Amino acid sequence: MKSKFDPITLEIYRALFTSVAEEMGIALRRTAFSPNIKERRDYSCAVFDAKGRVIAQGDHMPVHLGSMPMAVAAALKETELKRGDVIALNDPFTGGTHLPDVTLVAGVFEELKGEGRRAKVTTHIRRDWNKENQSEALSELSPFAFCSSPLFYVANRAHHADIGGAMPGSMGVATDIYGEGLCIPAIRLVRGGEIDEDLMRLILANVRGHKERLGDFQAQIGSLKTGAARMLEIVERRGEVEAANYAVHLIAYSARLMRHAIAAIPNGDYEAVDVLDSDGITDKEVPIKVRITIRNSHARVDFTGSAQQVAGPLNAVEAITVSAVAYVFRCLIGMDVPASAGLMEPIEIIAPRGTVVNALHPSSVAGGNVETSQRIVDVLFKALAQALPDEIPAASQGTMNNLTIGGFDRRTGIEFTYYETVAGGMGARPGSDGMSAVHTHMTNSLNTPAEALEYAYPLRVRSYSIRKGSGGKGKHRGGDGVVREIETLVPAQVSLLADRRKCPPYGLNGGKPGEVGRDSIVQDGRKRSITSKGSWKLGANTRIRIETPGGGGHGRN
Amino acid sequence: MAKLSIRITKSKIESPKCCVGVDTGGTFTDFVFVSKSGLRVFKLASTPGDPSIAITEGLKRVARKTGVRLVDLEVVHGTTVATNTLLERRGARTALVTTAGFEDVLAIGRQARPSLYDLSAVRPAALVPSNMRFGIHERVTAEGEVLDKLNEDALIKLAGKLKRGRVESVAICLLFSFLYPEHERRVAAVLRALGVPISVSHQILPEYREYERTSTVTINAYLQPLMGSYFKRLRNHVRNLRIMQSSGGSISADVAAVEPVRTILSGPAGGVVGALRVAGECRIKNIITFDMGGTSTDVALCDRDGMRMTREALVAGLPVAVSMMDIHTVGAGGGSIARVDEGGSLRVGPESAGADPGPACYGSSLFPTVTDAHLILGHFGGEGLLGGEFVLDEERARKAMAQLAIDMSKTGGRRVSIFQAAQGVLSVANSNMESALRRISVERGYDPREFSLLPFGGAGGLHAFELARSLRIPQIIVPTLAGALSAIGVLAADVVKDQSRTMMLELGPGIQTTLDKLFKEMESAAIIALRREGFPDAKQRHERSLALRYKGQSFELEIRKTNGNIGAAFDRAHKERYGYDQVSHVVEIVSARVRSSGIVEKLPRDRRSSSSASDKSEYAKAARRGSAYLNGKKCRVVVYHRDKLPAGTKLRTPCIVTEYTSTTLIHADAGAFVDAYGNLLIQLRHGES
Repeated sequence: MKSKFDPITLEIYRALFTSVAEEMGIALRRTAFSPNIKERRDYSCAVFDAKGRVIAQGDHMPVHLGSMPMAVAAALKETELKRGDVIALNDPFTGGTHLPDVTLVAGVFEELKGEGRRAKVTTHIRRDWNKENQSEALSELSPFAFCSSPLFYVANRAHHADIGGAMPGSMGVATDIYGEGLCIPAIRLVRGGEIDEDLMRLILANVRGHKERLGDFQAQIGSLKTGAARMLEIVERRGEVEAANYAVHLIAYSARLMRHAIAAIPNGDYEAVDVLDSDGITDKEVPIKVRITIRNSHARVDFTGSAQQVAGPLNAVEAITVSAVAYVFRCLIGMDVPASAGLMEPIEIIAPRGTVVNALHPSSVAGGNVETSQRIVDVLFKALAQALPDEIPAASQGTMNNLTIGGFDRRTGIEFTYYETVAGGMGARPGSDGMSAVHTHMTNSLNTPAEALEYAYPLRVRSYSIRKGSGGKGKHRGGDGVVREIETLVPAQVSLLADRRKCPPYGLNGGKPGEVGRDSIVQDGRKRSITSKGSWKLGANTRIRIETPGGGGHGRN
Repeated sequence: MAKLSIRITKSKIESPKCCVGVDTGGTFTDFVFVSKSGLRVFKLASTPGDPSIAITEGLKRVARKTGVRLVDLEVVHGTTVATNTLLERRGARTALVTTAGFEDVLAIGRQARPSLYDLSAVRPAALVPSNMRFGIHERVTAEGEVLDKLNEDALIKLAGKLKRGRVESVAICLLFSFLYPEHERRVAAVLRALGVPISVSHQILPEYREYERTSTVTINAYLQPLMGSYFKRLRNHVRNLRIMQSSGGSISADVAAVEPVRTILSGPAGGVVGALRVAGECRIKNIITFDMGGTSTDVALCDRDGMRMTREALVAGLPVAVSMMDIHTVGAGGGSIARVDEGGSLRVGPESAGADPGPACYGSSLFPTVTDAHLILGHFGGEGLLGGEFVLDEERARKAMAQLAIDMSKTGGRRVSIFQAAQGVLSVANSNMESALRRISVERGYDPREFSLLPFGGAGGLHAFELARSLRIPQIIVPTLAGALSAIGVLAADVVKDQSRTMMLELGPGIQTTLDKLFKEMESAAIIALRREGFPDAKQRHERSLALRYKGQSFELEIRKTNGNIGAAFDRAHKERYGYDQVSHVVEIVSARVRSSGIVEKLPRDRRSSSSASDKSEYAKAARRGSAYLNGKKCRVVVYHRDKLPAGTKLRTPCIVTEYTSTTLIHADAGAFVDAYGNLLIQLRHGES
């Protein structure tokens, strides 16, 4: 779009829309019940224009960056969104990512103030319409449509600590989506401002820790209310037309910044391959291959040659792959930029259907979001390092070390599920060491403080320390991983979904790879190694010990 | 005998006494003292190497002027030494003692990276390096029971190791120490033999979340030796020294030397207290303070409950979880540089021209800044800064702005004049500051339309009007002596002691007895402490509050209701803040808190002489008439000199009010008048939008 805009107003809208997304996040965190949302902040909030294109997103979780828009698109396609409605969904094959991530979407409707007000709005739009007839935002909407359909949409996505299925925490090793938990297509969970009690009961009957889940759903709905109210304030203050137009301008602005960043990469074809250790069913490595073609300000990212979708839960749906690509290219922009739909405009993605980067129904996908997404980032950076050797860091830990523990809490008399991801080493940078004990790339969730964890669950943290020396050597050292040891105080089912236990995070430019991760169960002082993907029934007073990978080194010593 | 005692009392009253407020800033150290003719203010150049040099210099001057001996001055001090020590990492060689297995908690933090998409981001290094962090074998459970006893032998060995390591201070933070403090006490008792300052977590911050607690107690230990010696140097000159805390009350220098982490926002907190005093003069409670200087702007919100507090502050990238005023700082001020970025958006800040080289109009740089924009648009009333002492180079400002205008023209596809560019710079700067104001108001559920804006600092008055207009704030109060408001604030601040006890108890029948007992305990302790500081019971105030949440949530809401139907009060508060409540859900008391204040004598109110007619309809005499750009339009403005405005007079708008340390801009849609104390009251007329 080549229409005129005012640089000042653009900056103001950037700040306004972003603050709405941030504020939704604060409301969600402060009212949520599960440690995974309130302590670890495993959620994202975003704002969309009338066509469902993202215009702002809070700085929450990168893995949601490219995938939230698909959720809103799916919600709008599947069902009609009326005033006071909230749509819920988690179906990975239509708008979702993996089942625990439940997305809620609501429309921002103009406040009803009687017929007079509606008439006024219509004429207002007509007048503006004549003045700025090149406006894309209005070109496909009749003035009347403004009064009955949403002006904007707000959405949030939160990782629920359990969504049913065979394993507590819903992050175990299943071989199809049905085994992973409850799948929610786009449905109206709230109708006309009232929660659909029947639907809610159905959902809660299928998940563990239903009280905590209900509290989290209510917090998500409250956060949408906050977001919608703030968007309405903006509309009332500055007018529907200007707000809609500048949403479009913001998308174009992001696109320009992305083109600028791509243009700074030398033209060429850059290829790379990296692998996942296994799919959790067999020990076979799962290769992911990419060819990035840079032509001026356009990029094509082609995953042809990547493994076919696998039996275990390491399949990524297309939304994940889009997110990973968006993340990597956004890192290249090197400045604060609105996380709008425009970011992906100059980027073309080829992800062949039925492969591990575009898996189809009914494959299992729990780890696609958290593990495969990290490997996609690794392979993209590996390719880009050939083009930008002075900017790209060596591989970071390349896993999220997903740990879920579930059981029955004798203290409270209810079942519990606990989920966390464990930090590791960051890859060394061309000019500096990698950070130690930090979440990298597709996640940035916090840890659960030991004191918060022990208040909430019958678990005890036995040690939490930096895994010294695990970072890859080099002129600049990779960051060190983490050692985390948790003891069960009651019998519990423990699941682990992790990677980089066989194939280490790569070094660059002569730097050594980082140390691979290690996992074990410690009982009565005896330690036994366990695989990186699986579930175990533990007795009381048994410890699970996770040692996370270090980052790769950069440069020869 | 009776006669004699009367005489003694009398002579006590007449013994010369003088209170001085001192606020150190980056450029100036401000002094405020009470003389017979009211409040007096002066500024001296700061001495950043050792701020106490400028301070003693100024105090000597106060002593000369008042005839009070230097040692007898009663000094209250707002300091930036703690913040700067943290920012510049100049603190002590500190050792940290933790529960074994948790030595790295300080370095791991919450395991998050500071910036999501920045591949070159770095986390601030831990204040204590790994070879100075020591685990000690012991463990307390979440129920407060001892699981593993403290290993005494290891403790003795550790003491030897620390002695050999020549540590300068020690921080102690053990898991669940706020439930069972004995282990921490024992460790502290043994390590006292080292003869260095020791900070203990259950004393500094008896609350859960080990990283935030460890960080807070470590910062305290890190600051202790340096702050101790700084206060000691000052105490060589003055006997009676009090220090402003980040929470808005002052504490004795002795206490501040033990708990310096409480003085991190000392200076800005003084500004907020000063603003509250002005609000009191105007008989209003709801204010938003707006302190805009050269490189940064501090904003805060106060309502009927006083100032808003937070326990989630980050200072120099490190969490400080003690109760602090909820002051939000943005890196935008008069020196912020404007540029057009690669995507064509106009950005202002965070880069700042600072004082050196300074904005283009200071004569050495070509950075177009916010100050240059004001100059070009005629907002200084054609007078330069500091009452004309500081001449501004308008030619140079125009040159810098012209280049920005060219860049903007290229992007927007239409010609942008330098006036439009300057107007744009102000709009973007205002939008940054509007976000800051929103963060502390709207985002926390406060409606700006119910507040007055209180601008101070050098540039506050230049931006207040437009900010009030976009947030629909109905009234602006520009205080007298706006340039020294922080120093006035530290002088006016009460002596404050905060106490908090973690409870983690469900709200239910029988809880009231427990609560009352706990509150009484805390209050008795405070009463004795305040008496010792010279406050009779009649001059003491104790406020109770409860931090509550629905059981299972992690964040609390603080409410003042501490008896009767507490649950219903919490449901209401939750609904007000988050839009819904959960009446059937169990409410949990996280902690009980008491804030105890020793009430200091009110500062004299500096009433101005009214204009002869003392008729509100009378307009003040203008210094001059001129022209300026307001809202992108050139218009005639009246220029007033602030110190020549009699109380009770009205101002013609649009106008510019200049004074020694600041300038105020008032647009046409407003009524403005000078109140009995010389404060400038501006009423905005918000049209229906």
